[in-house]
Amino acid sequence: MSKTWRAWFKQRYHQWVNRRLPAARKIRLNNNRLFIFPTRAGFLFGLVLLLLWLVATNFENNLVFGATFLLSAMFVVAIFHTFLNLSGLLIEAGHSHPCFCGGAAEFGILLSQKGHRYRDNILLRYPKSDQKTVSLPGTELAAVSLAVTADKRGWFEPGRVTLETRYPLGLIRCWTYLDLNMRELVYPRPINARGQPISVASGQGTNEIAGGREDFRSLEKHRPGEPHSHIAWKHYAREQGLHTKHFADPMDEEVWLDWEAFQGMDEEARLSRLCGWLLELSAGTALYGLRMPGVEILPSRGEIHRVSILRELALFNLPDQVQS
Amino acid sequence: MQADWQIPRISLLWLLVSMVVVIGLHVEHLPIWLLSAALLAVVWQIQNYRGAWGQPGKHLKVLLTGLCFGGVLSSYSTMLGLDPMVALLVSGFVLKLLEINHRRDALVIVYLAYFVAIVQCLFEQTMMTALPVFIAIMIVTAALVGLHQSNQDRRAGNRKYWFRPLQTSVVLVIQALPLMLVLFIVMPRIGALWSVPRHQDSGITGVSDSMSPGDFSNLSASREVAFRVEFEGDIPPQPSLYWRGLVFSEFDGRRWTQSGPWGYRDKNLLQWHGDQPAEWDSQVSRHGQPLAYTVMLEPTNSPWLFALPTARPDSSGVALTRDFRLYNKLPVNSEKQYRVRSWLDYDLESAGLTPLRRRLELALPDGFNPETRRVAKRWRAENPDPVALINRLLKQYNSEFIYTLKPPLLGKHTVDEFLWGTKRGFCEFFASSFVFFMRAAGIPARVVVGYQGGERHPNGDYLLVHQYDAHAWAEVWLKGRGWLRVDPTAAVAPERVEMSFTDLFGKNKDFLSDSLLSLERYQHISWLNKLRLNLDALDYAWTKWVLGYDHVQTDLLMRLLGRIDPMRIGMLLVIAGAIALAPMAIMLFRAREKHYRDELDQQYVRFCLRMERAGLARLSGEGPRDYAKRIVSMRPELQGDVTAITDLYEAQRYKNEQFNAGLLRQKMRRFYPGLRRKVRL
Repeated sequence: MSKTWRAWFKQRYHQWVNRRLPAARKIRLNNNRLFIFPTRAGFLFGLVLLLLWLVATNFENNLVFGATFLLSAMFVVAIFHTFLNLSGLLIEAGHSHPCFCGGAAEFGILLSQKGHRYRDNILLRYPKSDQKTVSLPGTELAAVSLAVTADKRGWFEPGRVTLETRYPLGLIRCWTYLDLNMRELVYPRPINARGQPISVASGQGTNEIAGGREDFRSLEKHRPGEPHSHIAWKHYAREQGLHTKHFADPMDEEVWLDWEAFQGMDEEARLSRLCGWLLELSAGTALYGLRMPGVEILPSRGEIHRVSILRELALFNLPDQVQS
Repeated sequence: MQADWQIPRISLLWLLVSMVVVIGLHVEHLPIWLLSAALLAVVWQIQNYRGAWGQPGKHLKVLLTGLCFGGVLSSYSTMLGLDPMVALLVSGFVLKLLEINHRRDALVIVYLAYFVAIVQCLFEQTMMTALPVFIAIMIVTAALVGLHQSNQDRRAGNRKYWFRPLQTSVVLVIQALPLMLVLFIVMPRIGALWSVPRHQDSGITGVSDSMSPGDFSNLSASREVAFRVEFEGDIPPQPSLYWRGLVFSEFDGRRWTQSGPWGYRDKNLLQWHGDQPAEWDSQVSRHGQPLAYTVMLEPTNSPWLFALPTARPDSSGVALTRDFRLYNKLPVNSEKQYRVRSWLDYDLESAGLTPLRRRLELALPDGFNPETRRVAKRWRAENPDPVALINRLLKQYNSEFIYTLKPPLLGKHTVDEFLWGTKRGFCEFFASSFVFFMRAAGIPARVVVGYQGGERHPNGDYLLVHQYDAHAWAEVWLKGRGWLRVDPTAAVAPERVEMSFTDLFGKNKDFLSDSLLSLERYQHISWLNKLRLNLDALDYAWTKWVLGYDHVQTDLLMRLLGRIDPMRIGMLLVIAGAIALAPMAIMLFRAREKHYRDELDQQYVRFCLRMERAGLARLSGEGPRDYAKRIVSMRPELQGDVTAITDLYEAQRYKNEQFNAGLLRQKMRRFYPGLRRKVRL
């Protein structure tokens, strides 16, 4: 019973926060978007004030009264300082970096201000990230990047980022939860599938990429600027002149990352292995392509190619997520 | 996450500084061993901070805690009382310093430091003690700020970094001052909730509750202020300023003391302000208009108050006693303000004394001063009229006696030796011998002690009564006339009464010999005297408006609000508080909006705004030169001025020269008037 109540309450709370703080890539903090409340230290401070007030009253001592009131007034002034430490800041979504499932995606956040207010000790954290401290000591811009642990492939939304400050006295906490409309891809968890068959489509060995370093191809006259390590010293010793050995990388392999190669496994296991092979291959020299139900990417190489395959793997068969 | 709970080094530094400052405030009333322990703790923490020493072990800490408690107990033999309380707080403070590992520990130290610093005000309340407490609060606040300042902008050897917490704290405290003032003025004081231990050894100098001739020589030389009086009308002349304090009716041959409340048949011996007048109140008949004034008494640690006879208290908590003196509910441990009305023209108990009372006022100890008793009887036989007898004795004083602050010591028969032997003394000697003589002659008499006279402050319109104005005189009871004041000292040294005491003894090198630095000593140097009186005016304002504010508060709030109730006080608090905070809030919010531009940019932006109004807005990202080109292409007639202004701006902005924005301003001033006409074309 209490669980359903708690769930209901939580849902209402989320609704309220979503209404009050709608998602945006760029949010300027103001009094509509900031919450403020005394901290535990603040309540303790209140207790000290009460104690001092009792001393002042019982000893009928106006100096103690004065000091008590000075501390109380400082508490009030600190509310303004703490609030203004966040208020007026422009929070923007920055660059983010994808990750593999189980790792941490990085989300960059930019804090900027007009003018030169000294803002110190602003804490940022996502529900599943570590906490970072940032300050703008009279500067206009500060950037911070938070690593958020992701445990599901697909589009990953880190949730609301909490911005919090207790500066300068720690008696008051001013905070906000922002949805910066950020999301990042989480690739399947790579599993090294060495020994597993992958389908090799063609192996004629006709294609080569010159300037490689694998197979010897020819011996040519040395031109200045060519690496010394490739000079054919034996030929030079035989006084046949200075020659350079030229190599070429074989491009004979065209590897297909094939869904069907992992028979008898479930979807996630297959994706993990495909991902593992992809990482392996992208470090090597082969051309590789992807073949999955409904998806085919022709073999090629390079960063763009690799990322597009990772993206397909990440989003495979996730109907609820828009492929944008 | 873990690192976040550790204490930044900068905070540790300020914690140590504030600890030294706060303990420094209490140096006077802490035992030596505790001060050494504090020093050791500071050294330990510094060494720990430098990485030289480790944290003390658990057993050591337990041992130290035990030692501290034992130390406090053995130093004060009690845990109650203000001094042991402070000692205990400071030891807690010192012990806590040995184990600051977390922010929480640091926070406890900061709160303790606030408390210990402020408690200092219970010991002394002068302006000179309030200022260090104020500074200590700033420094402790700096430690608190340091605890929440991020470490990010720390650079090696950056002095600014180390002083930032103090800077922030000073700003906070200054911004808090207006609100503090409002709270101080408006927040009602509700009076002590329960009785508390007081600091015992402050303000002991004053009129004591017994007198054996000889005591007053020290007191006379004390330059401290006993009390200040603010009269609502004119200040009466010096000879009528007899500040009645205590009445001594009992004499044991050596010492005069107060008699107990025996001999009075009345139910209530105290008549509190606001009570119905007691039956015995009719024993005094008051004539004429009363003199109203407010007395600001320095702490005396006794409940006796001083007033001109015959007085009636006008402040709550003050009572009139059966022998018509003023009495405070509690011993006066801090500055006390009370309002009094006095009728200088009065008859006191003229209807008669009760037999027991009469016997008490005539009582003399057996075996003392036989000579005086003999002479008194003879004189009484020769002068049946008591007034004649009194005059004869006063005449005797006048012709043969010498007033001095350094009288010879007296043996067993003090009065005999004084009257018939040494004939040198000061007020106590005269009062004592006079009363003894009168009683021996069968005239009821008693000694009254208090203060006489006072120094009129030239610009403060108040009277300053010093400890050296302490005085003793006599009262005799005459049939049909009641108690009459007789001051035998005035008979021998009338100047003592008519002039103020310093006028009389100012040239005497021995007077005030205890305080070479005392400003009174140098009254003949006029600017120094002025300085002394100005300082006192400041002290007077401090006493009246800060220390004794409770007494002014009710009046002030009444005048402001018309009626005092929680609603109105709350409203006043909110409104005045908002007003007090407004300047700070405006300053803070405006600082946020301010976008820094130098004067040259300001001028150029103004130019752009003008052109925008003329329909030629500058595009975002458009440089000055492109902008000028575009304007000229659209409005060729503006070419001359626009090019000139842009060139001037560019030259000053980008050429590596000291710029002169005035030049640009001049140029534009000539340009604008014709602009509207030209643009319209």
